[in-house]
Amino acid sequence: MKPAVFTRALRKEFKLGWGRGRVLALEGLDLEVQRGEVFGLLGPNGSGKSTAMKMILGLLRPTSGRAEVCGCPAGTLAARRQIGFLPENPYFPAFLSGGELVRYYGKLSGMGGRTLEARVQELLALVRLGGEAGRRPLRTYSKGMLQRAGLAGALVSDPEIIMLDEPTAGVDPAGSREIRDLIRELKERGKTVIFSSHLLEQVEDVADRVIILHRGQKLREGRLEELLTQTGEWQVRAKGLGETQRRELNAWLIQHGAEVVQEGLPRERLEDYFLRSLPEQERR
Amino acid sequence: MRESWRRIRAVAANTFLEAVRQKVFAVLLIFGLVLLGGANYFAEFSFQEQFKFLKDLGYAAISLTGLLVGLLGAAQLIPAEIERRTILTALCRPLRRWEFVTGKYLGLVSLLSVMLGVMGAVFWAVLRWKETQLIGMEGAGEEVVRAIQAEARDPRLWQAFVLVAAKLFVVSGLAVFFSTLATSTTFVVAMTLMVYLIGHLQSVAREQWLESGEVAGWGLKIFLAAVALLVPDFNLYSLIDEIVAGNAVVWRSTLQVAGYSAAYVGVLLAAAAWLFEGRDL
Repeated sequence: MKPAVFTRALRKEFKLGWGRGRVLALEGLDLEVQRGEVFGLLGPNGSGKSTAMKMILGLLRPTSGRAEVCGCPAGTLAARRQIGFLPENPYFPAFLSGGELVRYYGKLSGMGGRTLEARVQELLALVRLGGEAGRRPLRTYSKGMLQRAGLAGALVSDPEIIMLDEPTAGVDPAGSREIRDLIRELKERGKTVIFSSHLLEQVEDVADRVIILHRGQKLREGRLEELLTQTGEWQVRAKGLGETQRRELNAWLIQHGAEVVQEGLPRERLEDYFLRSLPEQERR
Repeated sequence: MRESWRRIRAVAANTFLEAVRQKVFAVLLIFGLVLLGGANYFAEFSFQEQFKFLKDLGYAAISLTGLLVGLLGAAQLIPAEIERRTILTALCRPLRRWEFVTGKYLGLVSLLSVMLGVMGAVFWAVLRWKETQLIGMEGAGEEVVRAIQAEARDPRLWQAFVLVAAKLFVVSGLAVFFSTLATSTTFVVAMTLMVYLIGHLQSVAREQWLESGEVAGWGLKIFLAAVALLVPDFNLYSLIDEIVAGNAVVWRSTLQVAGYSAAYVGVLLAAAAWLFEGRDL
């Protein structure tokens, strides 16, 4: 089976116009994303994440190199049929309602009739925009609601690959958690998810594999456990140890030649604490 | 092909809906008021002069309203989508760029058609109201009544209407063409208006080019040829003035101008789609 996304020596230069030369946005990117993977594109602003995504989507033409989507050249109709895209900011026609947006994107994907209508209702319910919320104009939505509506729009044609550009940027912790849960759910359904982010903790939560870009060049690529596991150390979390046992354990470790790098009470992540503090019904 | 048409229709319907929700149709209210106000002027003149004035005013108002909506609407079609970046979420779908351009144009043409339809109906109603008013006031014989009815119910007015629509569709096509090149609405409006003005001198340029022979230099000949071949001849639409002036214009001429306009729009859309195809978004 062909990979979900494949790029070879993908390069993009932008002309600045009026004889001001060119700027290099992406330099010879080699990439292979397997089907069913959750793949993170990491890097600071201007590192080439969005440029890479846009070339895979066919919105930008590569200066050289090639990109394929499920074996089809990027930008062709066959390739675009395989992809659902959620942009970084809510770039949606504000005069439409949530439901109309999803319906419009469905029609653009060649859908229609009862199949489309059923799909629209199903997706609105999935992203919690069913009922009155789905009938409101998008200009009245919060950022989180817009992202959810956009996500429903990206999923309408049931694509094989879902591309999310900074999906959690500007979204509150509850909304951000919700999007990550949805990414996990998509993975369980066998979808390939490619997303870009500079919120590293969030990437760590969901990605199987990541690539780190910097100034258009690939710095690192690999599975998260390979990249992040520190092989020279060992970590144990234990419950029910008293002060005496802790001291004994420390002594035992030192006696056996280990260096105690860190010990103490574990800390919860602020995001988890924040979410736990919210009333039950507002956590989702 | 069917799927392609479905996508074009979706883009067109969305474009139309956007204009409706932006309350573009409110301009029709102003049009109606101008026409009704104008119908009450020059009551001291003969009925022929009153109808002449009313028709002049009506067609001028229809043309101006249509031109404003068509030009400003078309100029925004693509640059505004690029500026708001809504184009990204549309063109990442299995939608060809020519389908997008065609859908946008058809959406605008639908809007203009509805507006022209409403303005035509208002115009017709005002003419009939004027007819009733004049017949009541004159209290004249059968011959005068027939003359008033002939003025108010002149079927040539529909010919003028077809010509106004054709002219507006060409102007909108020009604006769509320029909007695939530009990122700014101002550029599109300026370029379209420039071509619109040059288009009124196109026939002069054509004659000069054909007759230039040995007199003109190569630079001037190339310029005249470019104007004659590339710029639409907006003088063709002066048939509207002939009709309003009460001169006979055969339907054949009207249909020829309509055909010329359709062909021109086709070429403009094809060129726009070709240019847009290679554009980075």
